[in-house]
Amino acid sequence: MVNFTVDEIRGMMDKKRNIRNMSVIAHVDHGKSTLTDSLVSKAGIIAGARAGETRFTDTRKDEQDRCITIKSTAISMFFELEEKDLVFITNPDQREKNEKGFLINLIDSPGHVDFSSEVTAALRVTDGALVVVDCVSGVCVQTETVLRQAIAERIKPILFMNKMDRALLELQLEAEELYQTFQRIVENVNVIIATYNDDGGPMGEVRVDPSKGSVGFGSGLHGWAFTLKQFSEMYADKFKIDLVKLMNRLWGENFFNPTTKKWAKQKDNENKRSFCMYVLDPIYKVFSAIMNFRKEEIDSLLVKIGVTIKHEDADKDGKALLKVVMRSWLPAGEALLQMIAIHLPSPVVAQKYRMEMLYEGPHDDEAAIGIKSCDPEAPLMMYVSKMVPTSDKGRFYAFGRVFSGKVITGQKARIMGPNFQPGKKEDLYEKTIQRTILMMGRYVEAIEDVPSGNICGLVGVDQFLVKTGTITTFKNAHNMKVMKFSVSPVVRVAVEPKNPADLPKLVEGLKRLAKSDPMVQCINEESGEHIVAGAGELHLEICLKDLEEDHACIPIKKSDPVVSYRETVGEESNQMCLSKSPNKHNRLFMKACPMPDGLPEDIDDGKVNPRDDFKTRARYLTEKYEYDVTEARKIWCFGPEGTGPNILVDCTKGVQYLNEIKDSVVAGFQWAAKEGVMAEENLRGVRFNIYDVTLHTDAIHRGGGQIIPTTRRCLYACLLTASPRLMEPVYLCEIQCPEVAVGGIYGVLNRRRGHVFEESQVAGTPMFVVKAYLPVNESFGFTADLRSNTGGQAFPQCVFDHWQVLPGDPCEAGSKPFVVVQETRKRKGLKEGLPDLAQYLDKL
Amino acid sequence: MESNIKEIRSRFHIYDTCNWINTHKFTKVCLQFPDELLSISSCIYEELKKETDSDLYILGDTSYASCCIDVVASMHVQSDAIVHYGHTCFSKVNIPVFLVFNEKYLNLQNVFQLLQNNKTIDNLDKLCLFYNCEYDHAKAILAEHWFQHFPKSYMAFIDLTSYSTNNFFGRVIKNKDNEEFSSDILKDCVCIFIGTSGHTFFNFTVAVAAKKWYLLDPETMQINDIEQSSWFKRRRFLIEKCKDANVVGILICKIAGDQTKDIINRMKQLCKANGKKSYIVSVGKPNVAKLANFPEIDIYVMIACPENNLYDSRDFYQPIVYPYELEVAFNSNQEDYLTTHVTNYDELLSGGKHNKDIAEVTESTDVSLVTGKLRETKIVSTSACTDLVEKQNWEIDNIGFNLKSKSWRGLEQKLGETEVKQVEKGRDGLPLQYSNEPE
Repeated sequence: MVNFTVDEIRGMMDKKRNIRNMSVIAHVDHGKSTLTDSLVSKAGIIAGARAGETRFTDTRKDEQDRCITIKSTAISMFFELEEKDLVFITNPDQREKNEKGFLINLIDSPGHVDFSSEVTAALRVTDGALVVVDCVSGVCVQTETVLRQAIAERIKPILFMNKMDRALLELQLEAEELYQTFQRIVENVNVIIATYNDDGGPMGEVRVDPSKGSVGFGSGLHGWAFTLKQFSEMYADKFKIDLVKLMNRLWGENFFNPTTKKWAKQKDNENKRSFCMYVLDPIYKVFSAIMNFRKEEIDSLLVKIGVTIKHEDADKDGKALLKVVMRSWLPAGEALLQMIAIHLPSPVVAQKYRMEMLYEGPHDDEAAIGIKSCDPEAPLMMYVSKMVPTSDKGRFYAFGRVFSGKVITGQKARIMGPNFQPGKKEDLYEKTIQRTILMMGRYVEAIEDVPSGNICGLVGVDQFLVKTGTITTFKNAHNMKVMKFSVSPVVRVAVEPKNPADLPKLVEGLKRLAKSDPMVQCINEESGEHIVAGAGELHLEICLKDLEEDHACIPIKKSDPVVSYRETVGEESNQMCLSKSPNKHNRLFMKACPMPDGLPEDIDDGKVNPRDDFKTRARYLTEKYEYDVTEARKIWCFGPEGTGPNILVDCTKGVQYLNEIKDSVVAGFQWAAKEGVMAEENLRGVRFNIYDVTLHTDAIHRGGGQIIPTTRRCLYACLLTASPRLMEPVYLCEIQCPEVAVGGIYGVLNRRRGHVFEESQVAGTPMFVVKAYLPVNESFGFTADLRSNTGGQAFPQCVFDHWQVLPGDPCEAGSKPFVVVQETRKRKGLKEGLPDLAQYLDKL
Repeated sequence: MESNIKEIRSRFHIYDTCNWINTHKFTKVCLQFPDELLSISSCIYEELKKETDSDLYILGDTSYASCCIDVVASMHVQSDAIVHYGHTCFSKVNIPVFLVFNEKYLNLQNVFQLLQNNKTIDNLDKLCLFYNCEYDHAKAILAEHWFQHFPKSYMAFIDLTSYSTNNFFGRVIKNKDNEEFSSDILKDCVCIFIGTSGHTFFNFTVAVAAKKWYLLDPETMQINDIEQSSWFKRRRFLIEKCKDANVVGILICKIAGDQTKDIINRMKQLCKANGKKSYIVSVGKPNVAKLANFPEIDIYVMIACPENNLYDSRDFYQPIVYPYELEVAFNSNQEDYLTTHVTNYDELLSGGKHNKDIAEVTESTDVSLVTGKLRETKIVSTSACTDLVEKQNWEIDNIGFNLKSKSWRGLEQKLGETEVKQVEKGRDGLPLQYSNEPE
């Protein structure tokens, strides 16, 4: 019984002020998908009674089985708001005149940190976020991470306190305690918001406030929820107080004395906190009456709250009855819908301030203005944030958001990948959009066209994009900004088919896998090994399962997980390194030295990047890292791939023809930075200085052939003389557990080279949070190990944090880095042993 | 001295050589020597001259590899035939050739002792014996012993006369009844190679499909089984690299034969059919410095003798692939999973065992697992349309495409940008060490 049709939705799409694009984000297991069901049931896609059990947005079988969301899923829903609620929407850009209906495009996202790339992709196409917090466990790591991401993308949050049923039934919290818990969560959330958002910024104030109605309370599992608005409505007439005023009174330090009928700002013996008295007490009463089977009390309460029990529910009691009663009294869908419609921005409002974050091109070109005004008549600008597999093997729907113009079935458009640069042809295709579709959980519906401000899927562009891209009809359009993920693919496994003859199928499967996940990397290495790299063990497990079952459809052998390392240097080269070209007529003099702490990260984050103006960059490097300003201006390039965290600096003075060999030296540098001298791993945090160059006077004798291999040799000599080191990736690991289990955690971490840097109690709960750094290489099997050592009470969340030098000298036989180097060399089919300096270093 | 000459006469088949020259009435004959035999070349020349009146020329320092017949050098003197000394790769040439192997002593007793001691080999009956050409002189007695021990097995004889289809790398497989077999039967055989590990043996292990390969080294008297699966992995990676490449360099490292021209044409056609640019590069003996002079080329396909060892070198700026690998990458009619290699490109040409029609290519895109980027197959249409078409950015497309991405494009005047300075003393001396350079 779908209570809306595609035509209705298409009609709504034009009313851009009545659209809300939102994602549901939270820590893992805080109940996003269950809560989402309440909304879906309101829209009537699944029967109301089963809401909370179906997990409509978990479309995959493994998601249903494991009760964990893996992929983000979108659904479009249509709701009507009552006249009395519409008045709460004051901004004229937040509703069309004379229109009660709202179109809500909702994306349910995974909570597990391994899948946070899915969250990033969801946030990009939405304007608002419903942040769900389990009121028993409070604000957790992932809550903070996703909230921070949301704010950075200029997504407005609203808050929902979930699992109130647990607080009441399991923890049996007193009303005042529960209020304090709520209060603390609201504060915690607002602290995070305040840290990452500037109140004076373009988004304005985005704090959540129960008295404004932007915080909801309830239980997704039981299907009930409320905001202070609902309760104020119940009392407003009785008290003859204005609704908005009453909402303010129902939260915070407001106390009411029932005998004197006076409000106070302070607690005394007579009065009681208004929130407890008017909001929590009635709920407590209903709970205790039903759970204690006090029949008469139930009947009288039901009359008071205006709930009549339907015939088929008449013989229920206990929890089942509680669900029915609460659901009819405070239906979750209604409360959530009101929060969404009233407090989340429409595309018209949001795109005004999001444009500058989204568009790479000039902020006054046609595309920018189209996005800013969310104009359906402007040129098309659409961002594809992920690929969704279709039932047709190997094909995908390109899923994304139309920010400007209209995307139409059969329209010819420019498809631009992340490497596209205006005026060039790379990563650019002009193709026809075969079909536009609406994504609705498990189903898709064809739709003729989709105007700006909406989310939709496209058929027929998947072949021209790897994972993401921009689709436009504007010839001079620049790309929409590429998404930045909060996790990195640091865990790798090598895969091969069980039957060698299946290799082509595996390769084809890997290509499909690469598309289907925003984060996973499928790499064919120089050694010929096929590597799948993901954010963590769980992520890889899911990817490999998909690969085996859906994409390649062949049995697969996989290696144990490994991490990739980086090569770096510990100090400056202990001598000036000279390498001569094969004809002996060109000589390069260079040295390597480590970068100051923080610079590699600045390069990763794009704070220092090759596209900067060289003067601004030099000033930054001089101020922050005390680089010599003339040298800092002569950074020849970054590498590997022209962007990596290593630099080549020209420190020469008055060398003839130097500019003529720059391209060749840069090519040699890119080569050496990609394949380091120790184990052909990428370099990280190395600065190479060119001190002097002697070149043959005839151009013919200093061509690329002489210079490129010589540069590589010279750089290798520099590395070998500068105490080469290996770096390994390190997780930031957050573990939540009761106090008794803390000891067990320390034991496990110690065995795995982890170290704890913070331990604190979650206020108001018996839970402790332990934060530690843990080398990714030691993290395999960590979760299981932790559980067995803490009786299953500790649950870790690991997210890649930084690179760290692996202690020891890789040139010293028997050291840990030496073993790693040898293993890597063996795996890559390189000569075992250590590289020989004499091979790279020449004498005058 | 006397005994020395006697030894040379027998070891280098002086009598047979002269006999061959005289019966064919060659007037000019070249003697091609590898580097290690150059020292005794004059001695051999003297001995030959005693028994033939033909003009003899000594060829040394062969352009690419001394295992190949240097036809070009022989043409400089318009010779009628070549006598080739030392190790050979049995490439076909269009000039009469007499092969003289660098004979080595083979201790048969020890060899068979070793075979019988190896239980895994001794219990098998599907075996095939290969021997390197320096043991060709002992083939008759070797065969006799072999078939005595393993009567159901096969043996690969070096055969210079047979041009039947069963001949591969100069060898023909026979059983004890002297029946010929094609190399296909080796799929079920365990093969044993008598010789030292080197490129000849390596070539067999990758190019001949056998159940397993053993190397029996008569010098160290050891027998080892050899696996090349990691080598194949690496080659498959290079095939992916071919698909990523936009510009292919066809590197000529071979002198002899019409086949060379055919294979070059075939490589050109393959590139064209897949919308790749190709250039023919001929730089004599290739080395790292020479090939890195063309940074615009993404990958080299080397036309060379199958025993060339540059294919596996990792020092080159761009990877080097076999013609067969380019075929696999660019011709979907070729089987795309490679279990055995085709190092001898003759087999790719029409009439060869691995010859397949070049498949029609349609414009398509797919994800490259090497770069993680999208790669596109673009076909330049060759329709005979005579309409005038407006070409935008023609000059950037063609001449300056690679130049555009460079920081130095040559001969920039930089008028007014260069500071005016006083004359100062420049460098002088030899480029090896200018006089003002530090010692």
